[in-house]
Amino acid sequence: MGYNNHIISEEEIEHLKDLARVEFGEKETEKLAKDFGDILGYVGELKKVDVSGVLEMTHALEGVKNVFRKDEEAKEGGGLASDLINAFPEKENNYLKVKAIL
Amino acid sequence: MTILEFHEALKNKKTSVRETVTSYLDKIKEKNGELNAYLEVFEEDALGQAKEIDERIAGGETPGELWGVPLAIKDNILIRGKIASAASKILENYVASYDAYVIEKLKKAGAIFLGRTNMDEFAMGSSTENSAYGPTKNPRDISKVPGGSSGGSAAAVAGGLAMAALGSDTGGSIRQPAAFCGVVGLKPTYGAVSRRGLIAMASSLDQIGLIAQTVEDAEILFNAIRGKDEMDSTSVETGGSTAIWRLNRQMKRIGIPKEFFGEGLDLEIKNSIDAVIKKLSQKYEIREISLSHTKYALECYYIIVPAEVSSNMARFDGIRYGRRSEGEDLISTYKKSRGEGFGLEVRRRVLLGTYVLSAGYYDAYYSRAQKVINLIREDFKKAFSEVDIILGPTTPTSPFRLGEKFDPLSMYLSDIYTIPVNLAGIPALTLPSGIQLMASHFEEKKLFELGKEIELWN
Repeated sequence: MGYNNHIISEEEIEHLKDLARVEFGEKETEKLAKDFGDILGYVGELKKVDVSGVLEMTHALEGVKNVFRKDEEAKEGGGLASDLINAFPEKENNYLKVKAIL
Repeated sequence: MTILEFHEALKNKKTSVRETVTSYLDKIKEKNGELNAYLEVFEEDALGQAKEIDERIAGGETPGELWGVPLAIKDNILIRGKIASAASKILENYVASYDAYVIEKLKKAGAIFLGRTNMDEFAMGSSTENSAYGPTKNPRDISKVPGGSSGGSAAAVAGGLAMAALGSDTGGSIRQPAAFCGVVGLKPTYGAVSRRGLIAMASSLDQIGLIAQTVEDAEILFNAIRGKDEMDSTSVETGGSTAIWRLNRQMKRIGIPKEFFGEGLDLEIKNSIDAVIKKLSQKYEIREISLSHTKYALECYYIIVPAEVSSNMARFDGIRYGRRSEGEDLISTYKKSRGEGFGLEVRRRVLLGTYVLSAGYYDAYYSRAQKVINLIREDFKKAFSEVDIILGPTTPTSPFRLGEKFDPLSMYLSDIYTIPVNLAGIPALTLPSGIQLMASHFEEKKLFELGKEIELWN
């Protein structure tokens, strides 16, 4: 496809990987730069649309409001807590185990 | 057998739930090795439930419409106590701790879940080739893809491995595979069906829907899963008494959007749709309409979706649940868990979303796309002030071969006629012939009525 007019630098891609907390292999990274160029070139077509005076779409559905639950102790029964604890990749007793943060 | 036929047979004691469920399990054993439609089959549970329902019927109870109906469930919809992996390695051992709203409703209605079906990882794809557990094949021709991302659900229904199925549709993920496999697919109005318990991809567009053998079955299943859920504030009350569910006037006009019949549409598909339009013109007024901004729908989609994906995928970090790959420190644990746990397309979208939301690019991409979406919505609004239903193709081509499309853009293009519907938030119904019917918000009833009429001709 002939949309390959958007160049994104290697440094930019490395920076994005850090921001997004993802890894890519060497070969994947090579292809990534090309795919990014293609996709960004393609979506760049939107520059042609006249959007003057148009508002951003900010709600998927008109007329719905935010709903908040009361700030009180959740009364979840039925073993939910133990289900969640069982899902921990690593634990000690009932504590979630992670690498040291500092 | 359709849901309706099965229900009649069950009421008249011509079959038992056990007999029917067993025949589906046998079919799965025979064909799933080849099709890879199911990632897991719940044989024991299904037989246990079947026995229970048969006993209740033997005890004199009248079966409800969905009693014993064997369904396939897409692997991104949670069933308590079962693995829900979204066909990703990062969730390979994740066991759901609650039921999705739709699962809760279907359990109460007496439906039976045969298993969880294959999909593109986290619903990102249009061929089910992006699954971490191998591709699904199209039952009509196993050298072809079934479409995606709900390819496993569509293949299960088309191949006779389930009576009907649940899927999800963010940009065509129910309708495109339905068209490819020759079954019925419904993407409901955004908000008509609760998203609680659906693993999120792009929350402003995601919608749970269904795949069935007939329009009538689709209507039955839709009525069983729709409704307001206190736990999803974007779901809308659509109770039976609400006027929008009734046809308050006769359908008169059908709109044909010229943008859906331009360059890129396969001639065979065009001809078959033209034949249907000709037949419809005997009863309805056919009017050519324009949805001029829909030509930018795909561009909007590939900005908005990666943006929402990058934030929705942030929760999968290998810390509280899912697969963890240990690194030297916390940051490298995150990066390794996500690097090894996510497939290439998921990582590509996460990165793209991070980019388009970056300071300095926000206005050029995200903000502009949200404005163009408003223009697309206006196009549909205007069209529906003139016509009752819009009719067009679901896909530009017939199913492609496995491995045929390997660059992301050409894959994205297969959703060109389905994406505008998600951006507008309206409902759409795909028929086995590949025809797509679109109606205004919460007007699913119109889709079912016209769909049944067209179905009768075949």
